[in-house]
Amino acid sequence: MRILHLYHDLMNLYGEYANISALAKILEENSVDYTVDKKSLEDEVEINEYDFVFIGAGSEENQKVALAHLLKIKDDVLKFIDSGKVFLATGNAFEMFGKKIETPSGEYTGLEIFDFVTVRQDKKRITADAIFKFGEEMKLVGFINKSGWTYGVETPLFKVLMGLGNNEESGVEGVVKNNFFGTQLTGPILVKNPHFLKYIAEILAGKTLTNNTFSYEKAGFEITLNKLSDRR
Amino acid sequence: MRKFSAIILCKIISIIGKMFGKGSSLPGEIALKMCPNVLSEIKMPKYIIAVTGSNGKTSTTEMIAHILSSNGISVAYNKEGSNQIAGVTTFILNNSTLFGKVKRDVLLIESDERYAKYTFKYFAPTHYVITNLYRDQLTRNGHPMWVFKAIEQSIKAESRLILNADDPLVSLFGWERDDIVWFGADKLESDSEEFRGAYNDAAYCPVCHRKLKYSTYHYNHIGHYYCESCGFKREDTKFSVTKANLKDGYAVINGKHKINLALKSIYNIYNILAAFTVASLVGIDEGEIASSINNYVLKNGRVQNFAIGDRRGILLTSKHENSISYNQSLRLASQDTEGCDVLIIVDAISRKYFTSDVSWIYDVDFEMLQSPNVKNIVLAGTYCNDLAARFGYTDIEADKIKVTDSIASAVEMLDNGNSEKIYVITCFSDKGKFIERVELI
Repeated sequence: MRILHLYHDLMNLYGEYANISALAKILEENSVDYTVDKKSLEDEVEINEYDFVFIGAGSEENQKVALAHLLKIKDDVLKFIDSGKVFLATGNAFEMFGKKIETPSGEYTGLEIFDFVTVRQDKKRITADAIFKFGEEMKLVGFINKSGWTYGVETPLFKVLMGLGNNEESGVEGVVKNNFFGTQLTGPILVKNPHFLKYIAEILAGKTLTNNTFSYEKAGFEITLNKLSDRR
Repeated sequence: MRKFSAIILCKIISIIGKMFGKGSSLPGEIALKMCPNVLSEIKMPKYIIAVTGSNGKTSTTEMIAHILSSNGISVAYNKEGSNQIAGVTTFILNNSTLFGKVKRDVLLIESDERYAKYTFKYFAPTHYVITNLYRDQLTRNGHPMWVFKAIEQSIKAESRLILNADDPLVSLFGWERDDIVWFGADKLESDSEEFRGAYNDAAYCPVCHRKLKYSTYHYNHIGHYYCESCGFKREDTKFSVTKANLKDGYAVINGKHKINLALKSIYNIYNILAAFTVASLVGIDEGEIASSINNYVLKNGRVQNFAIGDRRGILLTSKHENSISYNQSLRLASQDTEGCDVLIIVDAISRKYFTSDVSWIYDVDFEMLQSPNVKNIVLAGTYCNDLAARFGYTDIEADKIKVTDSIASAVEMLDNGNSEKIYVITCFSDKGKFIERVELI
C-alpha cells in the first residue's frame, strides 16, 4: 500500500500530519504493509503510483501556490479519482477541486473536477465546532476554520448536525465522488474520528480491520461529541 | 465637550467598576460610544510605544515599563491586559487630565494583534514593536499570515517599526523598507542546524514561495534565514543578543551588557532584547537598562512556585491553542538535569469562548519530553484522552504516562514524597483548578 502526503510542509495547519500517523497506526495494527511518501512544491508527483493521497489545510496563499502546482497534473488527479482510489482533502484543500475560487484580489481556476465555486472574503474567519453525519449511522466531530463559502456542491459528503455547511444556506458539507472525500473539517480528523479512520482504511485495505489500539482516540471522540451535543 | 464628558464618565465608571470587581473594558466602551474619536483628541506624550505579536507581549510590555520607571520616566500602560480598543481607551482616558492630556511621560500599549488596526486608527505609536508571529488561538485567529494581514493594516508611516529580524514572518513587515530597527540573536550555543518542531511556518519564503534556507535555527522558525531566489533574508541587527547561556542563565546584549535571567528561556531573552531595544531608542543609557532588567522577575504571575506535601514544583502558565507557548514550557522541563515529573492539564480550552477543538495539541512538540530528565508524565482534565492519544504518536514510553480526567486525582498521584521537581503546564483557563489544590510558595 503506497500512501502519499502531498504538500506536507505547505498545507499543514492544525496538526494535519497526524491524519497520516493515524492511518499508519491502524495499518500497523492490522499488519498491512505500507509506505508513506511526502511530496511538495519542488517535487515531481506521479500521483497514480499511489493508493491513498492526502492534502490538508493551509493558509490562503499556500493553497494558491499548491493549486498552481497541482494544476500541472490535473489530468492525473482526475484519473486517480475516476479509478476509485482513495483521496482525502481536508480544510481549504477541498476548495481546490472545484471550478474556481473567487477572492477580493481576483479569482483563480480550480482543478474543475467538480462544478462548485468558492467565494472568499478577507475580513473575518468563518469558524465553528462541528458535528456531522456520514451515511445513516456515523457521526463525526471536528472544527471548521475557513474564509469562504462554497456553492454548487451536488454530491455532499456530510449532513450538518452542528456547525457550518458548505455555505450559509447549506445543511450539508463537503463533497464526495467515488472514493474522493473532501471536507472543510480541519486538523487531525482521522485521529478525532477513529471510526471514520477505520472506514477509510478498510476501503484502502479491501478488508475488515480492527482498531483496538485506539481506545484513547475513541474516548476522546465520545467526550467531544457529548460536549458539543450539550451546546446544540 | 463630548471629549470632556467621555473622560469624566470613563473615570467614574472605572471607579464604580473597581468596587464591584468588574473588567476594564466597559468604561472605555461607553466613552467610545459617547465620543467615537476621543482617542484622536487626546494630547499624547512625546513617546507612544506599542507592542504586538503572538507571544511575549505582556512580558515585554511589563519589562519596558519596569526599565523606564526605574530610570525616572513615568509610564502609563495597560497592565491589566485589556489590549483591545475598549480596554486601551479605558486606560488612556484614566491616565489623562479632564482636559484630555496624558499625565505621563510615556504611553505604553500592549495591543492585541488582530485589533491593533482599530486602536491605531485614531493615533499612531511613535515606536511599534512586533515580537513574533506564531500559531495562536487558531480557532479565532485563522493562521499566522491571516494575523499578519490584520497587523499590516495597523501600521502607519509615522511609526518607527521595531522588528524581530529572526522571525521571517515578522521581517516581512520590513521587506523593501530601510527605516526599520531590527533586533535579534546571533548564532547561539543552543541553536541547531536542523529544524526542530512539529511544523515549520517558514518552510517557504514568504515573498516568493521558494524553499527558505537557514544557516542556523534558534527554535521553530526563528533563526538566520535567506532565500536564494528573491533575496529575502534575515537583516543585520542593531540590537543583538551576542551570547546566551541557558544553563547558567545569562544573556549578553550588544557584546557588553550581561543580563542574568530569572527565567532561563530563549523566549525570555527575546522579550528582554525587545524591551532593551525600545528603552535604548527612547534615550535610556544601555548600562542603566541592563542593570534595571538584570535578574528581573516578571510580576504577571505566569510562573508560580508551589508545594504538594514535601514536593516542590513550578507552574508554567502556558497558552492552550498556542504550540510555541507549550514548547517553551516543555523545553524548561526537559532540560532540568536534576530530573522531574510533568503534569499537563487541558480541561477548558479557553476561558473566553467555547471550543472543543484539540487539533493544536498535534502542533505541540511533546516529543521533547522523550528525555532522561523526565521521569513521570501525568495527563489530566476533560481532554486527557486526547492528550494520551497525542502521546501515543510520540516515542515516549507508555509506562511513564498516567491519564486521569480528574485534576484532584492528578494532584494525589503526585503527592507521593518523591524528590523530583514537578512541572505543571496548563493555561489561564485551567490553572485555578490546580492552584486551589496545592500550596503556593
